[in-house]
Amino acid sequence: MKSSHFFKILNIAVLSFIFFTFKIYAIESIDERVKNLTLELRCMTCQNQSIYDSDAEFSNDIKKIVKQKLQEGESERDIKKFLVERYGEYILFRPLMNNYNVFLWIFPFILLIFGVFFVLIKTKRKKV
Amino acid sequence: MSRIFILTPLIVLLIICIFSLAYLLSGKDPNKPPSALLNKDVPIFESSSLYNSKNVIKTKDIKNKKTLINFFASWCSPCKIEHPLFFEIRKKHPELYLLGFNHKDPTSDAKKYLEDDGNPYHFVGVDSDGLIALEFGVFGLPETYLLNEDGVIIYKYMGPITKDILKNEIEPLL
Repeated sequence: MKSSHFFKILNIAVLSFIFFTFKIYAIESIDERVKNLTLELRCMTCQNQSIYDSDAEFSNDIKKIVKQKLQEGESERDIKKFLVERYGEYILFRPLMNNYNVFLWIFPFILLIFGVFFVLIKTKRKKV
Repeated sequence: MSRIFILTPLIVLLIICIFSLAYLLSGKDPNKPPSALLNKDVPIFESSSLYNSKNVIKTKDIKNKKTLINFFASWCSPCKIEHPLFFEIRKKHPELYLLGFNHKDPTSDAKKYLEDDGNPYHFVGVDSDGLIALEFGVFGLPETYLLNEDGVIIYKYMGPITKDILKNEIEPLL
């Protein structure tokens, strides 16, 4: 009789431990995701500060919304899309890869190709 | 001769790149980020009146009439600066529907503010949790939006409107 009580208590203790550990882990994981995502978002009312680093009211509101949406199971991509639809691409530190911005992404590579050609021509001429 | 054949396309490419960059970055003032909602339909909203919570305004209620939407709060100092101009707008353009959204304000403070400074709006909607402002992409008060009869946002201004802005930017659209 005594041993069955002991096992019941042990079961409850183990289950509680697993439940709370999982809950704490889940909360930490959401907070971490909020941090990572809001670090990529621009505070619209501050100068060159991310939403994560800012304590402005706007930033705090966005942090709350991001957290709420992550808890509801929305993906980071969906949250970014939601914010871009309302605040424009300006809210993102990293421009989106779309038709309009593709030039901005490839411009450094064009410059690199130009530079390599320039160096090659110069070195060839020196050898001659 | 061969050097010209190698260099010419590269130089042309560089010139194209520079012009394209100049085009992409032209007219972008970092202090005035572009509005994502400009030339788009007004977001769906529903807000109860500051004076009577049973009286509700919805998106469909402002269709078929030109509407000026202003987000304000009693705690917002720049809102006080632009506030008198809304009386002027209402007097000069009686056909224009003025909709004010009181943003994150205790009701008593909002009512006192409109009692002291006057109420120029046809309807004052409550946005206590800031969710309507979020749908409109508001990030600082005051912000003003002009909607055409089709419910499309045709103008947005961030910050307090002035007589010059009213005359040169808003009135030509009315």
